[in-house]
Order: sequence, then structure tokens, then C-alpha cells
Amino acid sequence: MKTFICGLDIGGTFTDCVLIDELGKLTIAKSPSTPSDFSEGVLNAIESAATKLSLSSPELLKSIEVLAHGTTVGTNAIIQRKGAKVGLITTKGHNDVIHIMRGSRGLAGQDIKLIVHIPESSKPDPLVPKKLIKGVSERVDCFGNIVVDLNENEVRNAILELKQAGCESLAVCCLWSFLEPKHELQIKNIAAEIAPEMYVTCSTDLAPKWGEYERTTAVALNAYIGPTTVGYITRLDESLKLMGYKPPLQITHCAGGTITVPKAQEAPLLTLDSGPVAGVTGSSYLGSLMGYHNVITTDLGGTSFDVGVIHDTKPVVSYKSTVHQYEYFLPKVDVQTLGTGGGSKVWIDPATKALRVGPESAGADPGPVCYGNGGTTPTTTDADLVLGYLDPENFAGGKIKLDIAAAQSSMQTLADQLNMSLYELASGVATIAEFQMADLIRKVTVQKGLDPREFVVFAFGGAGPVHMGVAARELGVSKVIVPQGDTAAVWCAFGAASADILHVSEQAKIMSSPFEKESVNKILLALKERGIRQLNSDGVHADKHQFQYSLDMRHRGQINEVEVFLDKDSLEENSLALLREKFVSRYEQLYGHGAALYDARLEIVTARCRASAISLKPKLNTSQLDQREVSPDMQTGVRKIYWAEDKEIRSTSIFDGYKMRPGNYLEGPCVIETETTSIVVHPGQSIEMDSFKNFVINP
Amino acid sequence: MSRISEMPDTNFNGIEQPYVPPKQLNISEKLKLHRKWSETIDPVTYEVIRHNLWQINEEHGATIQRLSGSPVAMYALDLNPSILTEDAEFVYFGPYMQYMSGVTDTQVKWTLEYRSENPGISEGDMFIANDPWVGAAHQQDVMLLCPVFWENELFCWVTNCLHQYDIGGITPGSFCPSAESVYEEGLMLPPLKIIENYEIRKDIEAVYLRSSRKPQLVALDFRAQVAGNTTARERIVELIKRYGAETLKGVMKKIIDNSELSYLEKMSRLPDGEWSDRTYIEACRPGDRRTHKVMLGLRKEGSKLIFTNDGSAPQEGAMNATYSGWRGSIMVAINELLSWDQYFACGGALRHIEFDPTPGTLNCAEFPASVSTAPIQAMEISLYPAYNVISKMIYPDKELRKDIMCIGGTSQWPATLFRGTDQWGEKYGYLLVDPIGGAIGAFTMADGINTGGQARTPICQLPNIEHTEQNFPILFLYRKELTDSGGAGKYRGGLSAESCFIPHNTEKVTQDTLSSGNAIPTSPGLMGGYPSTTNGYTFIRDSNIFDHMQKSTMPEDTSDLSGHHEILQLRQENFTQNPSDVYAVRWSGGGGFGDPFDRDLEDIATDLDTFAITPEAAKNIYGAIILSDGTIDAEASILERKKVKQNRIANVPQIAKRKGTRVYESSDTLNIYSDANGEYWCCAKCQQPLGDSRTNYKTLCIQENREISTSNPLIGDPSRFVDDAVEFRQFYCIGCGSLLDNEIAIASDPVIHDVRRA
Repeated sequence: MKTFICGLDIGGTFTDCVLIDELGKLTIAKSPSTPSDFSEGVLNAIESAATKLSLSSPELLKSIEVLAHGTTVGTNAIIQRKGAKVGLITTKGHNDVIHIMRGSRGLAGQDIKLIVHIPESSKPDPLVPKKLIKGVSERVDCFGNIVVDLNENEVRNAILELKQAGCESLAVCCLWSFLEPKHELQIKNIAAEIAPEMYVTCSTDLAPKWGEYERTTAVALNAYIGPTTVGYITRLDESLKLMGYKPPLQITHCAGGTITVPKAQEAPLLTLDSGPVAGVTGSSYLGSLMGYHNVITTDLGGTSFDVGVIHDTKPVVSYKSTVHQYEYFLPKVDVQTLGTGGGSKVWIDPATKALRVGPESAGADPGPVCYGNGGTTPTTTDADLVLGYLDPENFAGGKIKLDIAAAQSSMQTLADQLNMSLYELASGVATIAEFQMADLIRKVTVQKGLDPREFVVFAFGGAGPVHMGVAARELGVSKVIVPQGDTAAVWCAFGAASADILHVSEQAKIMSSPFEKESVNKILLALKERGIRQLNSDGVHADKHQFQYSLDMRHRGQINEVEVFLDKDSLEENSLALLREKFVSRYEQLYGHGAALYDARLEIVTARCRASAISLKPKLNTSQLDQREVSPDMQTGVRKIYWAEDKEIRSTSIFDGYKMRPGNYLEGPCVIETETTSIVVHPGQSIEMDSFKNFVINP
Repeated sequence: MSRISEMPDTNFNGIEQPYVPPKQLNISEKLKLHRKWSETIDPVTYEVIRHNLWQINEEHGATIQRLSGSPVAMYALDLNPSILTEDAEFVYFGPYMQYMSGVTDTQVKWTLEYRSENPGISEGDMFIANDPWVGAAHQQDVMLLCPVFWENELFCWVTNCLHQYDIGGITPGSFCPSAESVYEEGLMLPPLKIIENYEIRKDIEAVYLRSSRKPQLVALDFRAQVAGNTTARERIVELIKRYGAETLKGVMKKIIDNSELSYLEKMSRLPDGEWSDRTYIEACRPGDRRTHKVMLGLRKEGSKLIFTNDGSAPQEGAMNATYSGWRGSIMVAINELLSWDQYFACGGALRHIEFDPTPGTLNCAEFPASVSTAPIQAMEISLYPAYNVISKMIYPDKELRKDIMCIGGTSQWPATLFRGTDQWGEKYGYLLVDPIGGAIGAFTMADGINTGGQARTPICQLPNIEHTEQNFPILFLYRKELTDSGGAGKYRGGLSAESCFIPHNTEKVTQDTLSSGNAIPTSPGLMGGYPSTTNGYTFIRDSNIFDHMQKSTMPEDTSDLSGHHEILQLRQENFTQNPSDVYAVRWSGGGGFGDPFDRDLEDIATDLDTFAITPEAAKNIYGAIILSDGTIDAEASILERKKVKQNRIANVPQIAKRKGTRVYESSDTLNIYSDANGEYWCCAKCQQPLGDSRTNYKTLCIQENREISTSNPLIGDPSRFVDDAVEFRQFYCIGCGSLLDNEIAIASDPVIHDVRRA
């Protein structure tokens, strides 16, 4: 019997199902997403895939070896503010932690306009209102010693009050619980006894890290999305089981791997933002199959620009994330978002007459002027249309007709104010947007000690291939790859299907040099045991277990930490000196030669273990390379396009992307169109199709 | 005492007197300046390079943040990177500690004037500097100035300033509350070439580190500063290579020109006039119970703004700031209220702003006054009146009005300086940085932001309690937002908070206090708004905290504890906190905006529901009538407010109304009207005339002098700390009894004439 690997991805409109058989043959099916109960859409997509293979759903499910699934249920609950009513129990006296937000507005690294213009900003709506936060007497100190016993009566009263107030979900976070979890676990037990219906999250289970604000936010978020996400995953899991799927369902998570259902039920927060992350995971796997070990993934849509970085086949990870200005601890593949996209507004600063693009966006509604939905401020997309990059009659496969006259007139008004021609303005807008993207990419690579010139760029999103060629040229990137063929359409599902089972366990404990190797090893061993337990419960055989260890270290007294990877699962006698060397070398790689102080005392802050099991990997078929010349019928016509390089309008050839063959090669300027995007190849650039049927721009 | 402008024969060279840069810098001919730039830069190239320059400055700041080792610097983000032109005009100034802007260009200009001949300024050099008379805010704020060269010409400067953990002086941490002069404070370095031809001068670095109690941390920070400048310098040279020196310089000049255009356009929309404000510092040295007046004047003449400090108290004790510190404070308000839309590119505005203080005063101190406490005292107290006078100046414009912020939290820093041996057996000294959590004052259209940080550092984060407890031997009993701490008003000021702790895993902690604003609120409201709470120290000696800990009934407030309450004075030195001594520190909140009687009753209900105010405050300050179930009786509240206003005007002789037309809105409660007899003040609610617009409308108002404690429920008796009597003066309209404005004053001080129409 044939066996398959299956990836499932729920998008805003469609739910995608990708099946890959042992030979790498793909079967792809789509079904409309069903927001009222997403599991319905999932089952429909599976059924549709089964039909394509002339199988019934149960027959197909029986032959699936790994079914991996990314869910946006948690993300949606947060966006729509439809999470559970959460009660929070914490150390008495520290109730206001998530209101004080460390005395900040939570805007670090975000829109600079809000940072500099305080009256425009505010704190986010509280995750848990003050009335639903209960402090209980208990205390642990920085050594992990209990200095005040837990007052169980207070705990009982608190839980009963929260229950009475209608809380469905309970978040528990006590000070220093990552060193001594006893009180949190006691509270959990009491809750199980007197409020068994409540969904309970403890910080020691979810994020045993140093810093009560980010830890409390993590548990509050987990409790907020818990009941909804758990309900969904449980329903889906049961439906699949009923239909005959046997192996454990794998849920993709934001650290770039998958977990099984029980873990996802305990820590639904891990699924937050797992969608965009799966795109990066997919890129890291497919990138390495294609021979690209360093990849910058970019996704330019209407309202945002997402950037992820893959270095040496591994996605770059961060350990602190932000959602709605709230910061929380969780290991997560780092996807940076800039509020610039096709909808970025073009405007002129009234006082200085300076031309600006963004950061304000026309969003999806009303969107660009050319959409004809009432937008009056021109956007980057309007500039693209005026320049001729986009075909007004054939946008999104002809589904949307663009109003070029409206776009022109709105841009002309601005051009007149600046004494520029319409085309100078439009190409200027495109250039400004492209250089902003280059600046962001430079920021996310250079600040991590990486050189963008050693990377290729993957360009996703409708607007990405329009602009990424210029941004890449500016960055000195050697290739822009526009993934195509069948896989591109279902990249995230592929990302889910290619992800490994991965459990990232962390334990904070602050230790100063000279380190006692026994103390470090004790923590590493505990993390390893936690990993083994997880993998065993996932049903992974011991010979497939893999472990990787790292320590977050810093100069003593410094706040910033650097992740240092270990070669083994424990430190040996001579490895302490080695650890210093590793720290210094990583530190200087990030911050430049001479930045480290060789004789300074060091600190270990967090120990980490990545326990993984390599899953069955989908294969990718390659095609024979055809001749360099394209077939004559690939050209669909010519269009007048303004090219900034020549400062003139040229009749430019337009090609049908679906008729390009692997090995085909074209020189710019030209535009290659598909249903989802226009690939703009500037003068001096060229494009070819590789054996994976990707478009490759040589910028 | 004379203003700087009245002292033509004095040499303001940064030695006895502060350095005041001349209009034309005197730079040695040895140093060639890059002075060619393109005047015709197309809008696209401009915008592309502008964005890139902003990113370079941001990356510069990020580099320092990652590498610095100083907790004060890192949590309070007490740093700032800048890019300046070859002749030291600001191109970009980062979004961190804003007062550092005022102390940056002066130090670069001084270096150009006094170091270009000997030892010379060359490629690969960097200068270290922290002399407050040359331009540092205080000695702990160490600057590193890096000239950027292109083809043997000085192209521009990149600089950074970073607060150091300890650079010597009589008090660990280098804030020296009892110093009488700079000789008792940390090391002072006029600009000194510490990096020569890309190499650190080891001899100079050794001198720099030698006075510090924590040389290793200072060394780490120095590397952070070097790395930040190096990154920025390299990126700028890349830009020159990419676009050409003349284009890049042209963009830099245009950024400044554009910020100037933006400033001029704003000024053209505003009426001329004069605005003044007054506030006080309490205690300038241990044992001092006097108040020290801080005055600020702003005059607008067309596009020109002139700031003065006439009437400020003389320099004394350890509360002072130098010229550049005072100038830096005012520039915070200029950046945030007038230059935010140019991302703090304030160089253009500075071309039209004159700073004309009087030397010898507490905020323009002459050498060798003690200035180590400047940023948390004299500078902080100079900053907030600047917010007020500029806010009053821009209020008449409906758009600019949206940028107004009432004075925010921690308007004076209630410092808790402590030291001893930590739980790891090491010596330590620390300034509790919790007050950086501040609060944002009310806006003209919305409430302020509870614990939203200090406005002068738009991005900062206080440490987690677990961070502080890891590094220092204390145990926090609580850190909580305080009900009623925000100033009342039509829009409420943000709430501040209180931190409370005991020594833990140590025998004792040795403490110093250093504060002001504990007797007299320093976050007053604006245009009828009320002040926030004052700062507060609560100290309970020999408390019963251990009983509570043993019985697992932890306190939520100091009022839950018993013991001996000691009143800590504002500069109390070397007192011991034993393990059972409970110490709580409360910082001031955000001031309120507009008359509290204008606050929407539904907002008051929300305030009650979220513990922002108490029912007592709702009744006494907001005039809300609360029913037994805790809800508000809307009808009765409206009647109550009406009744209070009517009582105010009972038996007050009336002045005839006039039929003029409105010229502009002067505040939320006052307008200027005009008729055949000229311009006159008018109540915004009832059009009651209140006298000629050149006179002080307050003289025609009903004035009620109340106890300062009536202005905010958390303000106690000022006589605990100062001998002067303090008043909360309220000014009501004689026509309708509405509140027009408030004033907080020492009883012997006259009513202030805060707005004068030109």
C-alpha cells in the first residue's frame, strides 16, 4: 500500500491539504475554510484529496504516516479578542505585573511614530482586568528557597471568587517559580479539586524563565487562547481517529517543529503565529534541498512585510516575542514584521514637502485607489499599476479589474506638488518602498552578525516578486527565488509536512563563573529527561531521539544574552575553559572583534534542550532542464512600462509564467505574470527557471 | 544677577562659566571641514537616504544596548546616539533619553573649538567627555564623540552618551546628595582623545577607569560605546561610497532644513506672547528644609523662541545643573512637542531658539557647584515647566493641541540609594530604578497612561522584580499601581506606582534618600487639571513583617503592617535598614487635564471599576454622587456639580458681558475675545469677560486657597519636609463658577501671570 506524508494548513480563505508519496509525488487539494468550526474544512480538504487519488477519506487516512497541521485558531482568538475569560493567581503584592508592563508602553522595536508621538499611543487593553487578578500569600526567593508558605485558604477563596466571576480559564504565575515550582503546583492541584472545569496554566510548565512580566504574560495568553484551541484540536484529533488515522496528529508550533495533541492541549500558546513560522520552516527544508543554506524569506502582502532568516539551514529563533504590545517568553522562529506593503500610503509632508511612503497603510479596506473601493490616498500598489508593472485587466488572474485612471489621477496630484512627472513619482515610490525593505532586511541580518550578501531571498506574497528584485540588488543578494510550481501555492502546508517533532525545554537558573559543572550538568540532565519523556509519549523510538543543548550566557552584570551551543549533553572538566572560548567567539561574531572582555566574569542564565525526532521527509522532484530560449508562445504581449534605470517608458515584453520551462532564461526588462503575482525583471537583471520550477531572478 | 546675553565680557568657555557655543565656531585651520553639498536632491534619493540614516542611528543605539553592562543605563535606557553635521548641527537624535540632546551638540562644538589645534582631530579618533561645564548633564553621562572623515576632511560626527554605573565620588553610584562641590563628585573629563588612529589609548583608558568602584562594568560600557560609534561610522562611510559625499551631505543638510521648515510652519500658526511657570526643589543638602524656586519664561516673537530662568534660586548644595543640562531639559519638551514629526531632528528648530539663563542659579550653575544629581533634580524640575509653557503656547492651534502632554510621572526622582554586601558576598551600590516606570500625564483628548514610563525616555523598561532580587539583597513585598495617584481632570493623568521591600539574605542595607517633590507636587495638572500624588517614602522600623511571613498572611500595603513609622527626610544619609524594616517608595504620577467636573461620568465609573480612583475622590474631586451599590447617580451628580459652582459665585459682584468675537482659544477653559475696546479674556463656558488680555485674568477670578492635600488624596502634610506653607490655589469664573485653572505655590509667592498676549 502506498503511504503518504500529509500537511494541512488553514488559511483565511482556503484550507490546503498536501500529500506527498514515497516517490515525492504531490497531491494537492483545497477546500474553503470553515471559521465556525475549522475542523470541518480540514476534513473536507482531506476528502477532496482522497477523491483525487480515488480513495475514500478513511482509506487515505489509514495510509498517512505523518499528518502535520498548523492552526490559526489561537491567533484568531487574539485578533478578534474572543478568548476565554481568564482569572490570574499570583504572588500577593504583585498583582499589577501585567498592567505595569515594566513601566513601558510595549513599543520597543515597533512603529517609531508611536514611540516618538506619545499622545498617539496607549497600553493595550489588559489581558486580565485587575478585578480578576488575585494575589495569594506565598514567596520564594532568588535562591529558590521558600520564605513564605502558600496560604491555601487564600488560594481556595481566590479560585472560588474567580469561578463565581465567570472565569473559564486560570493562569498561575508566582515569583521565582522557575526555581521552586511547589506553590504553583499546589495551586494547580487545588484548582483541579475545586474547579475541575477550569483550564489551568502554570508558568513553571509553560515558561520556566527569569522575569515575571514576560512569564505572566505567557501564562495569561495561554489561558486566554486555551479553551478555544484545545476544543478545536481535540475535535479534529477525534474526527481523524474515528476515520482511521492512527499515528499521533502532529501540530506545528512557533519554534519551527511539531508537537503531539497532549502537548498542544497543555501549551496552545506554542501554536500562536505557527502559520508564518511554517513558511520559514518549509523554506529551510526546501531551501536546503535546493542547495540554499542561507535564506532570507520575505512575504510582502497588502498590509505587511514579514521577514525570516535561515542561517546554515536553521531558522533564526528568538526567545521573547510580542503580541499586541505584550511581551512574553517562548522560543519562536523569529519573523519580523514591518507595516509596509502594497497598501502603504504615499503622502507628502505638508511642511517640508518631503515624499513619504508608509508607515500608514490603506489596509485591505478601502485599499489602494485602483481597487475602486473608495480609497483616495495612493499606495505602493497604485504606483506599481501606473508604472505598468501590473496589468489592470489581468490582476490576480483577471479576478480584479484595476482602475488605472483613478490611480494615475491620485498620483498626478502628488506629482504636481513636487514638480515631478507622474512616472518619476511612481518609480520614486517604488524605489522608496524597495529601499525600506532592504533596510529592514539589513537590520535583521546585520544585527544578528550575518551578512546579507551570503544569502538568497525567497520572495512570497503577491507584491513580493514585484519589488524584491530591486531590494535584493541593493543588498547585494545573489539570487531572488520566487517559489513556483505546485509547492509554492501550499508552502505552509509543506512547511508543516517537513517539520520535525521538536520540544524546546528551557530552565532558567542564574549561575556565575567559575561555574560548577555539577550544577550545570544537573540542569542539563533534567532537561534531557524532560525531552525523553516528551518524545516517548509522542511514540518516538529511542534510536530516533536527537538532542541539542545550549546555554544563554552573558558578561556578568550585562543584560543582553548570547546563545552558546554545546557539543555534548554535559560539561566536562576542561569544557569550562572551552565554554568561555565559545562565548567569546559567538559574542564577537555578533558584536565585532574586541567587543568581549576576556577576563570578565560570565553568567549562565538559561539552559535549553531541543529534543527532536527527524520525521519522514517529503521528497521534491526535479525536472530536466530544457533549452535556454523560451517557447515563442510564452510571450502574451507587450506593455508600456516606465523603468527608473532608463528614466523612460519602454515597450516591454510580458510573459505567461505558466509557460516557462525549467532551464528557460530571459533578460530584463520584462514582466512574467502568474495568477498570484507579477515578477518584475528590471533592465540589467535576468530570470530563469530552475529544475524545481522556481523562478530565479539574478538581481 | 544677569542673563548670559547681558554679560558680553564674560568668557563662556566651559571652565569657570558654562560653554555657550558662539554663532561662529573658532576651528583650527589644521582641520579641514567637508563643506560641499548638493542643493538639488530629488525627493526619492532624499527619502531613501533619510530612512537609511535613521536606521544607522537606530542600529547605533541597539548596539550599545546589547553591549552595555550597566543596569541603570540599560533599564532606564539612559543613553542616546546622534548623528551631527561637520559643524555639529543635529541630523538625527535617537528616541532614548531626550535630555541628552541638549548636551551633545555643545560638547562636539567645544571639541571643534578647543581640540582641533592640539591634539588635533583626525581620522580614527574618538573623544571621551563628561565635563558638565563643557556640556555633560552630570559626570556619570559619559559621551564618546567620533569624527567621521572622508578624503581627509571632517565629514560629520557620530556620538553617543551613556550613563555609567559609577565613576567615583563620595557616594557609590556617583549621585552625591551631600556633595558641596564637584571636588567631592566623580571624575571629570573635558573632551579627551581616548582613541587615536583606531586604537584605544590604554593609558587614558586606565585613567578613566581608575576612579570607578566598578571598573569592569565601566570598561564593558566603554566597549559598547566604541562599538556603537564604529558601527555608525562604518555605515556612514558606506553611504558616502554608495551615493557620493556631496549627495549624502546634501541630504543631511536637507533633513535639518526640513525640520526647520516644519518648525517655522508651526510657529506661523501660533500667536506671539509670553508664558511663565514656577515650581520648586525641596532640600538642597542634608538638613535643609527650605524650598528653592525654579522659574521658566518663554517668549515667542514670530519664529523666535527665547527661554529664560529669571527668578530661579541661586546655586546651592547638591541640587544644581549646568547651562547645558538646563538647555537639554528644555530640548526634551521641544523634541517631544514640536519635533516629534521630524523624529526628533531638532537641529532646524534650534536655529531659532535662544537659551538665555542667568549664571549662578540652580539650573545654570557656575563652577565648581555640585551637579552629580542634575538629571534627577535640577534638570528634571526644569523640564516639566518647559512642557507647560510650550503646551500653553501651542494650545491655540487645534492640530498642535493634540500633541500636548501634561506633566508625567517621576517628575522628581525619589531616589533610593543603597549599598552593602549582597547575597553573593560582594559589595554593591545601587539606585533603585523602579521610578522609571513613571506615568504619562493626561492629553487634551484622552487620559494619560498608567505607569507608561517617563515621557523623557520614550522607550524604557524597568527591571522585573526577579532581576532586581537576583542582583541585590532585597525582597519586594509589592510593586503596585496606586489608586488616586493620577492627577484628576477632564482627562485623568496616568497612575504611578509604589515599590516596597525589605533586606533579604543580608544583615542590613545602608540607605540614602535623595528626593524632592515629596511636599509639593511636581506633576501639576494643566488648564484646570489637578496634580498627581507627590513622591513618598514610607519607612516602618521594626515592623511585624516576619509575623506576616510566618503566618502566610502577606501585606498588600504598608498600612497592613505595624511598627514604628519613621519620617525619612529628603536627603537622609547613611541610615540602616534592618531585615524587619519595611521601606516603600512611591513616585509621582501624571498630571490631569481640564476641570474634573467636566469628566464624563461613565469614565468615572470605569475609573472606579479599575481601581484608578477611590469613591471618596470621585465624590470630593469629581463631584460624582455614588449610590450604595457603588454605581454613579448621574442625575444627582449633575446637580451636585451645578450646586458647587453656584456656591462659588454666590455674592460675587458681576462684570457686564461683552459682545466680542473670539480671536483664539487660549486653553481648555479660557478664550481670547475682541471687541471695539480691544482684546479680552473670556470664560470658555459662559463667555464671561475676565479683563484685558494683557492683564492677568486670575486677578478678576474668584480665588480659593486650599490645603495642598485637597488637590490629591495621596498628598500629605508638607510641613514634614519643608517649613514654607504650600497652597493649592483655584481660580473660578465669576460668571458661572467653573474652574479655570489651578496653581501650586508657596504661600508667600505671588499669583503667577502665566500667559501674556503679545
